[in-house]
Amino acid sequence: MTDASPGGDAAADGGHEVARGGDDHGHDFPGTGSIKRWFVTTNHKDVGILYIVTSLFFLVLGGVLAWLMRIQLLAPRALGEGILAPVAYNQAVSAHGLLMVFWFLSPFAFGFANYVVPLQLGAKDLAFPRLNALSYWLYLFSGILFGVSFFQGGTFSGGWTMYAPLNVPTFTPDVGASTAVLALVLFVASVTVSSVNFLTTMHRMRAEGLTLRNVPLFSWTILLTAWMMLFAFAALLAALLVLSSDRLLGTTYFAMESPAGALLWTHLFWFFGHPEVYIVFFPALGVMAEVFQTFTGRRIVGRKWFILAMVLVAIQSFAVWMHHMFLTSINLQVKTLFMITTIGISLPFDLMVFALIYTMLKGKIRFTTPFLFVFGALLLFIIGGITGVFLGAVVLDYEFRGTYWVVAHFHYVMVGGVTALVGGLYYWFPKMTGRMYDEFLGKLHFAVYFVGFNLLYFPLFVAWETPRRVFDYAPELAPWHQLATVGGFVLGLSFLIMFYNLFKSAFVGDPAPDNPWEYATTAEWAVSSPPPLENFDGTPTYRDGHLEFLDAGEVAPSEERSGGPTGAAVSDGGVTASATRAVTADAELPTADATEVEGPSHASIWPFVLSAGAFLVLLGLSPLQDAAFPEGMVGAAYATTTVAGGVVTLGSLVAMGLEPFRGPVFEEGEAWPFAGIDNGKVGMWIFLASDVVLFGGFLGAYVFTRVAFGWTGWEPIPSDPIPGLVNTYILLTSSFTVVLALVAAEKKHKWGLVTSLGATFVLGIGFLVNKGLEWQHLFHEGLWLSTNVRASTFFLTTGLHAAHVIAGLVIALYLTARAWRGAYLEDSRSVEYFGLYWHFVDIVWLFLFPLFYIL
Amino acid sequence: MVSTKLYTAIYVVLFVSATVQVLVEFAGLSYWLAFGVIMVLSAAKAVLVAAYFQHLRFEPRSLTYLVGIGLAAALALTLAASYSLL
Amino acid sequence: MVTELVPAAAFPLQSGLVPRGTRTFVFESIFEVFLLLGTLVGVVVVGYMLYNAYKYRSGSGNGHIDDEDRLVLGELPSGSGGGRKLFTSFFMSMIIVVSLVSWTYLTLLYVEEGPSDAESLDVEVEGYQFGWRFTYPNGHTTDGVLRVPADRPVQLTITTADVFHNFGITELRVKSDAIPGQETETWFTADEPGTYTAQCYELCGAGHSYMSAEVVVMPPDEYEAWYANTTADNATASESSTDESVAAKSSLRPAVVP
Repeated sequence: MTDASPGGDAAADGGHEVARGGDDHGHDFPGTGSIKRWFVTTNHKDVGILYIVTSLFFLVLGGVLAWLMRIQLLAPRALGEGILAPVAYNQAVSAHGLLMVFWFLSPFAFGFANYVVPLQLGAKDLAFPRLNALSYWLYLFSGILFGVSFFQGGTFSGGWTMYAPLNVPTFTPDVGASTAVLALVLFVASVTVSSVNFLTTMHRMRAEGLTLRNVPLFSWTILLTAWMMLFAFAALLAALLVLSSDRLLGTTYFAMESPAGALLWTHLFWFFGHPEVYIVFFPALGVMAEVFQTFTGRRIVGRKWFILAMVLVAIQSFAVWMHHMFLTSINLQVKTLFMITTIGISLPFDLMVFALIYTMLKGKIRFTTPFLFVFGALLLFIIGGITGVFLGAVVLDYEFRGTYWVVAHFHYVMVGGVTALVGGLYYWFPKMTGRMYDEFLGKLHFAVYFVGFNLLYFPLFVAWETPRRVFDYAPELAPWHQLATVGGFVLGLSFLIMFYNLFKSAFVGDPAPDNPWEYATTAEWAVSSPPPLENFDGTPTYRDGHLEFLDAGEVAPSEERSGGPTGAAVSDGGVTASATRAVTADAELPTADATEVEGPSHASIWPFVLSAGAFLVLLGLSPLQDAAFPEGMVGAAYATTTVAGGVVTLGSLVAMGLEPFRGPVFEEGEAWPFAGIDNGKVGMWIFLASDVVLFGGFLGAYVFTRVAFGWTGWEPIPSDPIPGLVNTYILLTSSFTVVLALVAAEKKHKWGLVTSLGATFVLGIGFLVNKGLEWQHLFHEGLWLSTNVRASTFFLTTGLHAAHVIAGLVIALYLTARAWRGAYLEDSRSVEYFGLYWHFVDIVWLFLFPLFYIL
Repeated sequence: MVSTKLYTAIYVVLFVSATVQVLVEFAGLSYWLAFGVIMVLSAAKAVLVAAYFQHLRFEPRSLTYLVGIGLAAALALTLAASYSLL
Repeated sequence: MVTELVPAAAFPLQSGLVPRGTRTFVFESIFEVFLLLGTLVGVVVVGYMLYNAYKYRSGSGNGHIDDEDRLVLGELPSGSGGGRKLFTSFFMSMIIVVSLVSWTYLTLLYVEEGPSDAESLDVEVEGYQFGWRFTYPNGHTTDGVLRVPADRPVQLTITTADVFHNFGITELRVKSDAIPGQETETWFTADEPGTYTAQCYELCGAGHSYMSAEVVVMPPDEYEAWYANTTADNATASESSTDESVAAKSSLRPAVVP
């Protein structure tokens, strides 16, 4: 248990392991020095460390690609010159962007979020610990899948924006390009799981007295980031699934011939892409706010306005996407509208910047490494912000589009954000490892980093006339590019100082006290460094305006689970009617028959296995073209991989369902606006809200394509609406039987439950058979996915719906089997949550049917 | 919460309105009028399913707003993107 | 329409409060103002920030930690002051940004209005992997070289034969997307005869770096003489910038899947 052996992971915390040993309930849970621990852990702090270490690995990968590009750009290169061939350069550009934006920036920030947010909230873990581990493993495997894409004829080479139709196999035929897209799909799955988990946790599991407006600013930024991720990534998922289908199945949404396929991609991508800017920047803002307060010893100026500004930005971020499309064929009215929203969204940032600056006034500023980085980040962000206003003026944007002005601007903003996050790494390093980093090396890192940064990115403003993503540019710009290349190496190499410093300090640094920063005020500094496994010795509460820990006796927990809604919605004002109810958070899947005497679980291998299975499925599917595997041995190997991966995925899902896993026990404290609603239900609804956007993206794509095609000239693909109508009847009936199942479960009527669930399953099968016959009929008429864009939208949209039905049937089968053995009579929540999902699938069909069959 | 009888009644209403929806197509209305009627029928059915089968009516309103936000985002994308073409 | 308030006949140079003239003139006028104000604001804000960071550094004796007011570890951060100064700065920045952008919006309307059909030369531009094709009103088509007269507005209608491109002549400050199935329009007027370079500004494949065309701005009479000799025949080969580079570019095209 108190395995203090040195070696192992850099984050292992040597001598401090003893401190947490006493809290370790799970007797099968190995210590941090054990390799096994890191494969099975579901603890939020472990997962946070895994995220940070992995994301830094992708930083190095993305950084090396950037170096290759900068070497290529040392001089204008004629064809055949330089270290990279043209396609290789395009691959480097694309992979650099994708890796940095997706596999480095957000996961780096979410490493901190994982570690710090539960501590700041007073929660013992996230609401769904296994789903948290699952997010991490999906993330890691998506990164590995992306890595594999380099070896399948070459990775995607169409830029991180993946503009259509360059993104379809006609123009980027490599298998690796498909793999890169599938890797992104897997990454989005990770993000979605993570968003649902964070949102449920942050809304439901705050300590008593910790109302939302009093949540620390870092947690605030994560909360808003998670909300933006939930919806923005759902739109990206829609775009990526359509793209995957175009690449693997042969649909023609984005094809050159499609009426507005290229424009459709830009809408779907930027609807995600603009919120993404804030998704990667907000956590950095949160770090800035925390570190500014700690090292100036002052409260942030205008705290509530700061929060309000962020909320406004988060909402508005979904209404600015077309400013990336000012030079496309969109009309002037829309341009005007989006110019206004763009200016509108820039203003709250002015307020935030001023708030941070004024926080310094009259304080006692200590220039430690974290503060230096965060201070530097603010400086860089100001430059990034000012140059962004240039782009807000449409007439200037017309000329800046596609040039290095854009490149320089967004690197100042995004890498400015990275600068703050690096500050965060130094800031929380003592908390995570229990040891101090070397302050001199930290400051040296900052000095080299800051010089390198400006040397790299500032010359790009001067050389702004260079078109993006080219390596043959006007010769007179060469000196600026050479300067930038030097800066790139300085910036990159500065990280060696950090790696050396942190790696060494993790083992031999001075021991860190609970609060090494004197004026730090948030809760993570009130517990030991590193914190015990379950964070707090007692139950944290803020009922008297400051953090206290209550003994177990003071809160009188009962084993009562929260059932249905209590009706008394608790406002955020601080009244907590249900504070004395102890609830088990992890209601992911039924574990009602598990004994409840033991403490919470911290280990499960299934998230890892499940992710590995999903990885194999997608890897296996990558060479598909026109829905067919390549011929011969290679194709057979890929097909086998798919099947094997499918078996592993399904098996681990079932294993995860059957595993007796106990989530963190918590007192329902502040839970606005979801007070009295079980975590599992809140999680399900949050997930469904993102699914609304996913289907919204598909239906939006359909409507957009049809408008471009000419709405009334578009004939529905099925000439006969009757099979669709029959399926409407079937789905409505199956919804009804799910309702009956829940009624039976609540009445503890076992056979009623089994019969109703069984009937649902049979009806679902009936739906699929009917659909299969209909499709078969259409295929015989000569219609195929690639026939035309009408056929593509019909087959893919109803296909996505059918996939939802299939997923529902898998769950229904599982529930039926468990109900047969007597489950759900005591605790019918699983049946209820399944019902929510199933009804949602039904509702989707209520819109698909008229849109695709009648109108 | 809700009696089985009410659930059954709602099921019947849904079933009937699905039938009506198809009949509207053959009623000889102008295209856009039929379009309006059909979409309104779909929306009404969706609201019924959400309110009773997913018992949103009996949950704190926050869950309804949550779904509403998702719906608003999807509609914003669809409408603004389509409008930009015109 | 608001756009009608802006007289399109305001050619050539006319500098009022709202810059009108060639695309270059419009861009440079606005860019200069932005650069000036941007630098000014940047210097003031960053200077203020650095000055205060220095002034209130720990050990300077200028700042102090107010133990009454400051948060202690674990305290709820309810209540915070300092609103007034914050809002003053916020409103100042808002006024600068909003007035700057509104000002440029008037110019945007002018740019969007474009030159009148009567005076402008219409050229259709088609991008392809990896080059540009130009079609003149008489049907004459050239590849790789665009010839236009000086001092006369040129109206471009831009599209593509394959992937998404972006046609831009950076020295003449004109640019527009080339989108499959869509047409975009833009215009420019060149003051000085000479040779300029058009490039692709959207990643479009292996030959993206080399997807350029020559833009030859000719004295009006020379242009007329040249144009009078053109026919609807395709003049691809003779007008290519260099045959060698075109051959090289075509080798960059991907093997199209049958």
